[in-house]
Amino acid sequence: MKSMKWIVNNRLNTIYILIAAFLILLPFVYESRNMLILLTQIFVFAILAMSYDLLLGFTGIVSFGHAMFFGIGAYSIGIFMKRFEPTMLHFIYAVGATILITAIVSFIVGLLTLRLKSHFYAMLTMALAGLFLVLAEKWRTLTFGNDGFTFRVPEVFIDRTNFYLICLAAMIATFMILKRFTNSPLGRVLQAIRENEQRTESLGYQVLHYKIAASVVSGVLAGIAGIFYAMSLRYVNTSVFAMDITLDALLMTIIGGVGTLVGAIIGAGLIEFAHDGLTELAKEHWIFERWIIFFGIIYILVVIFFPLGIVGTLKNFTWRRKKQHPVKKKENLAG
Amino acid sequence: MELLFNLTLNGLATGMLIFLLAAGLTLIFGLMDVLNFAHGGLFAWGAYSGIWIYSTTGSFIIGILGAILTGFLLGIITEKWIIKPVYGNHVQQILITLGLMLVLSEMLKVIWGPNQLSANPPDYLQGSWEIGGMIIIKYRVFIIFVGFLVFAGVQYLLKNTKIGLVVRAGVMNKEMVQALGINIKKVFMFVFMIGSGMAALGGVLFGPYSGVIHAGMGMEFAILAFIVVVIGGMGNFTGSVMAAILVGLSGSFMAYYVPELSLAVNMLLMAVVLIVKPQGLFGGKG
Amino acid sequence: MSVLLKLNNIETFIGQYHILQGVSLEVKKGEVTVLLGRNGAGKTTTLRTIMALNPASKGSVVFRDQEIQNLPTYTIAQRGIGYVPEDQGIFAGLTVEENMKVAMQKDNEETHKRLDYILNLFPDLKKFWKKPGGLLSGGQKQMLSIARAYVNENELLLIDEPSKGLAPIVVEKVMESILQMKEQTTIVLVEQNFMMASTIGDCFYIIDDGRTVSNGTMKQLKEDEEMKRKYLGIA
Repeated sequence: MKSMKWIVNNRLNTIYILIAAFLILLPFVYESRNMLILLTQIFVFAILAMSYDLLLGFTGIVSFGHAMFFGIGAYSIGIFMKRFEPTMLHFIYAVGATILITAIVSFIVGLLTLRLKSHFYAMLTMALAGLFLVLAEKWRTLTFGNDGFTFRVPEVFIDRTNFYLICLAAMIATFMILKRFTNSPLGRVLQAIRENEQRTESLGYQVLHYKIAASVVSGVLAGIAGIFYAMSLRYVNTSVFAMDITLDALLMTIIGGVGTLVGAIIGAGLIEFAHDGLTELAKEHWIFERWIIFFGIIYILVVIFFPLGIVGTLKNFTWRRKKQHPVKKKENLAG
Repeated sequence: MELLFNLTLNGLATGMLIFLLAAGLTLIFGLMDVLNFAHGGLFAWGAYSGIWIYSTTGSFIIGILGAILTGFLLGIITEKWIIKPVYGNHVQQILITLGLMLVLSEMLKVIWGPNQLSANPPDYLQGSWEIGGMIIIKYRVFIIFVGFLVFAGVQYLLKNTKIGLVVRAGVMNKEMVQALGINIKKVFMFVFMIGSGMAALGGVLFGPYSGVIHAGMGMEFAILAFIVVVIGGMGNFTGSVMAAILVGLSGSFMAYYVPELSLAVNMLLMAVVLIVKPQGLFGGKG
Repeated sequence: MSVLLKLNNIETFIGQYHILQGVSLEVKKGEVTVLLGRNGAGKTTTLRTIMALNPASKGSVVFRDQEIQNLPTYTIAQRGIGYVPEDQGIFAGLTVEENMKVAMQKDNEETHKRLDYILNLFPDLKKFWKKPGGLLSGGQKQMLSIARAYVNENELLLIDEPSKGLAPIVVEKVMESILQMKEQTTIVLVEQNFMMASTIGDCFYIIDDGRTVSNGTMKQLKEDEEMKRKYLGIA
């Protein structure tokens, strides 16, 4: 059994390494600015989706205000770059500020709601994200209101290929960190919480502490994703706090497959490619301007019929073929 | 004095609109343990369908009835096809209702276009009365009146009819209601329908109140309704009306004196309630 | 006497726990059948399985010659089984009157006759008619719960530990009333209080580790010291 698992893992790792190598080499062999920008966008959203997966997939917490952390990151970098010189030092300050603010906010939200039923967290994050959106609109001296502002970035980040590679590295790093994190004793407790909170509590774990920890890690990573997002556009406006960002993260995680991390990356790829394709199609027919509707319908169908998403469903399928215990449907989305 | 009076009136009117949204939310939650994140979508649908019917037929009353009917229909469809398949799984429910919210808002844009629509009160509700030097806007009084009427009606239903009794009993102990021979699923459907109808009514009343309607209004009001549901106590109907008036008034006064903080104050109120009394100021079932 | 309710090799899971692993029993019309056994043996789950509150995954429940294990709870109740749960299941915010109203499936003469009868049996309920159920004493709650189950023309009452947590004098009162109702309905009683069980019961089943392990008439059990010690911890 153990050797079997190792072989499977090994094969999987080989695939991951091959894909990573392919992505690293891509900008040097295939020169397409659009493709580069699209892939960069995918990496950034993959980080956001993975941070979301840590909450939803691994701990069973639903956040409807993930855009808040994303937006905090985006505005932190924007404000630092705009107010001060766009140097590495200020970049580091911006990262520090993002980590600090997102950690504090996610800690407070977690402290307030995670001892209650799951919908409280969803509700409070949604409402708080709304508050941050209003804040970004109203605090004009700092944010320039709805219009937002452009800013310059440190030299290293200017070159598109460089930036592509940096985002790729950030995504891979996030993946590895989260993989480690979820496989650590702490991560195992989180999964135990997802499957049966009361049982975990009765085993003597302070469930609340673990959930808050997950909330904080997830919030900080979403903030980091926001930093890269704003840097890729060199522009930030209030849309980073919009519900759409949260919905994107949700769609990516759910469609890709919850509790798998890889699913989040695949989901990010699919959704971003679809965004791109559908925007093109919108020129042909107006209905495609409302592409969110398709996502919404697909999303609803996935939640009802494939609650495990693409990766989870595939996993289940191959496991069943090997006549091993399939992942139980309930387990991955249990409340 | 006149300012205070008008701010109060304004706050009450807003409060009543929030109440129409929050009441359904809290009843559905109390009975079915479902927090319907698509509820704001029903509010927006009520506004669009109602205003559209109003502008085509020229009758505001028909518009209101049309909106309520739309709410009923959407409520039934939602309960049957969206909520029921994932019944009993909290996380899936929360996720799926948000997906529905998305679809509902986008559908509005597909049908009525992405731009905002304007709406005016009918002639007989336009303008204002002047009493003792104070100007009272008619339409606001109308909203407060309708809101109060709905509150009284639902209260009567809950207190004095068999189905109302069953709903109240179901909020307290669902299992026992079934063990006494009552098909709770039918009751769910009924409550969902009523709640959706109230949300749609709130939406159509909101149209002429603000002058314009847009697809995003559902989400904006839903956030206020969530705050109200938390403050009033999840599942507590009378709590929801008190909290809605509280939130409406605080919003109205803050919007006048410190507009930047109006949402923040309500959020703060909710945060305090969550810390001190998570079951809500007026009790609930958390 | 004819068999009113029959459980054939019932198995029930709660979550992943295999609680009932083979419960078989027969309840004869007009008798009081007592389920005995240790805490956690599966007595309450047996009643809940009959009501389909915890549906059986295997086996059958036959009530009046019809299989009911696949029916929803409310249909089972409508077919004539009244249920008094261990925690009484009172609607705390509703008054005694409202509690009764929720329970009354029909609004006909017969139901009102039964209501009058049960209110005479439990005068306390009449006294606190307008009082919220949550404010009643433990014994009064028990009475209200029994009254709710009785008020419909139920052929069978399932009563789960009516003596639990009650003062001895109240237990006696509840016991008397059950003895009276026994004249008219068949009863399945879960009871730890052996004095009460043996006074009311006609026959017994012992459930242990999710299985029915023994049965017989109450008279036999009273004389069987060995059995009492083994399963009931009574010397």
